[in-house]
Amino acid sequence: MAKSDDGIRILQGLLVFGNVVIGMCGIALTAECIFFVSDPHGLYPLLEATENDDIYAAAWIGIFVGFALFALSILGIVGVIKSNRTLLLVYIILMLITYAFEMASCITAATHRDFLTPNLFLKQMLERYQKSEPDNNNDKWMTEGVTKTWDKLMLQNQCCGVRGPSDWQEYTSAFRITNNDADFPWPHNCCVMDARGSPVNLDGCKLGVPGYYNSNGCYDAISGPMNTHAWGVAWFGFAILCWTFCVLLGTMFYWSRTEY
Amino acid sequence: MELPWVLLALAGTGAAAGLGDSPRGDGAEGDGGSEGLQSLFLGGLSLLPYVPRVPPAALPGKLTATTFALERPCCVFDRHVDASDAVWLVVAFANASAAFRNPPSRAEVPLYEQLPTACSYMTLETAAATYACSAASPAVLRVGGDTACGGQGGRDPCNGPLPSPGPYRVKFLVMGCHGPKAETRWSDPILLRRGTGGTAVPPRVPRICPAVVLASLRTPHPLLVSPCSVKVGGSLCRRDSGTSTFAHRSYRTHHIPPALRQPLPPGCVCSPPGLGCFAHPPPAPCPVK
Repeated sequence: MAKSDDGIRILQGLLVFGNVVIGMCGIALTAECIFFVSDPHGLYPLLEATENDDIYAAAWIGIFVGFALFALSILGIVGVIKSNRTLLLVYIILMLITYAFEMASCITAATHRDFLTPNLFLKQMLERYQKSEPDNNNDKWMTEGVTKTWDKLMLQNQCCGVRGPSDWQEYTSAFRITNNDADFPWPHNCCVMDARGSPVNLDGCKLGVPGYYNSNGCYDAISGPMNTHAWGVAWFGFAILCWTFCVLLGTMFYWSRTEY
Repeated sequence: MELPWVLLALAGTGAAAGLGDSPRGDGAEGDGGSEGLQSLFLGGLSLLPYVPRVPPAALPGKLTATTFALERPCCVFDRHVDASDAVWLVVAFANASAAFRNPPSRAEVPLYEQLPTACSYMTLETAAATYACSAASPAVLRVGGDTACGGQGGRDPCNGPLPSPGPYRVKFLVMGCHGPKAETRWSDPILLRRGTGGTAVPPRVPRICPAVVLASLRTPHPLLVSPCSVKVGGSLCRRDSGTSTFAHRSYRTHHIPPALRQPLPPGCVCSPPGLGCFAHPPPAPCPVK
């Protein structure tokens, strides 16, 4: 009896510890997903225009899952300490539902990261940047978002195009329809700007003289934050799921050993 | 007594026949007498061995869909021009360059607006002093960079954007008061870029016309960029490698104003309209016809 009592006490202690960790991780997951959803780099319009912003959906799910994990962990601690079968049953069922949601969110974030390739953003940039005649309101909204985002990206990161300014020369684009090639071989935001926001040397920029235009592409500035976002949601979520799996198994075992 | 003159005439004709094939070496130092004599027979047109070319430096903008850049000829025209001469750039479709005929006077220069019909034009009219060894100037010329001119029906030369990807061939032509005085060789064919894929429909390519000469005229401005440095006793400017030219020198180009027409200051005679007068001595007046 003493041994099984000791065993039960140890199991209770472990389950309480496990639930405390789940609660803290839940809060951390909520905070991380709120950070990603707030879009500190301003890249959401690019994802929105691809009509596949699933990594944002994954982050939204992560917010609610994190909060649910926190609440459920408290329920679990109470249930374990009181050895209440009903409470533990409720805990197990709700935790399984939360587990399923978090699994969906992680898999979405992990697989959609592969969707974010340079060609995707190149095609979008060529089709939408400074497009003059949108088809409908939705198209207009997306076009404005893409144009503003690219303008801001090129200015702040001192970059041009996805792979470089030659993107604007090698491919036809909506930009080329409204801007003649002689004056705008690439957008003027690709030029090195002075303090007042006008190009230091416009002719040098048009010719591509080093020092007067931005020669590197913006793909790193886009993919860096997006990859961090996707990986952060996916892998932290997987880590929490692994831990939760163990705690759930322990709780089910404990539940089977208690009596009403 | 007539025999020497007959022999001279035969020599001149022989030289003229060989002129189209090989460049007449302008390195014939101290040969001013025979040069003058030959030019007398050849109508006064010297063929310089300089070949215009696109700058070898890695500039992404040197070839775009409607413009291209050329290396600035340095110290090429010094021995063949006077103060009143203008250097024009002739641009022609590559298959039309052989049929191009130099215009006999400035009034008959084919202009940018005639490109679709004549398949060539002349622009970038520049005072010859701008290409002198001692002149400070940008290291490249940009052909097609002026979008504000053209279509006005004026006689001012226009450096407008090229309507099709080409290929084009260019040469420099020195025009004096009495007509062309010197020309360089034709460049290699220059093919412009054409965007592919993407989204938009590629621009329509106009019909290729027979050989027409394009002269691109650039209004010179006293902008100092990279001065030509002349080797002692040499006739070529010292050239750095393409990239270092831009990496180590400050590159300040001049903004070409949209309005080419400028009022001629008094005392500038025989200077093309829009050229203006600068620190160089005013061009010598042409004899009144």
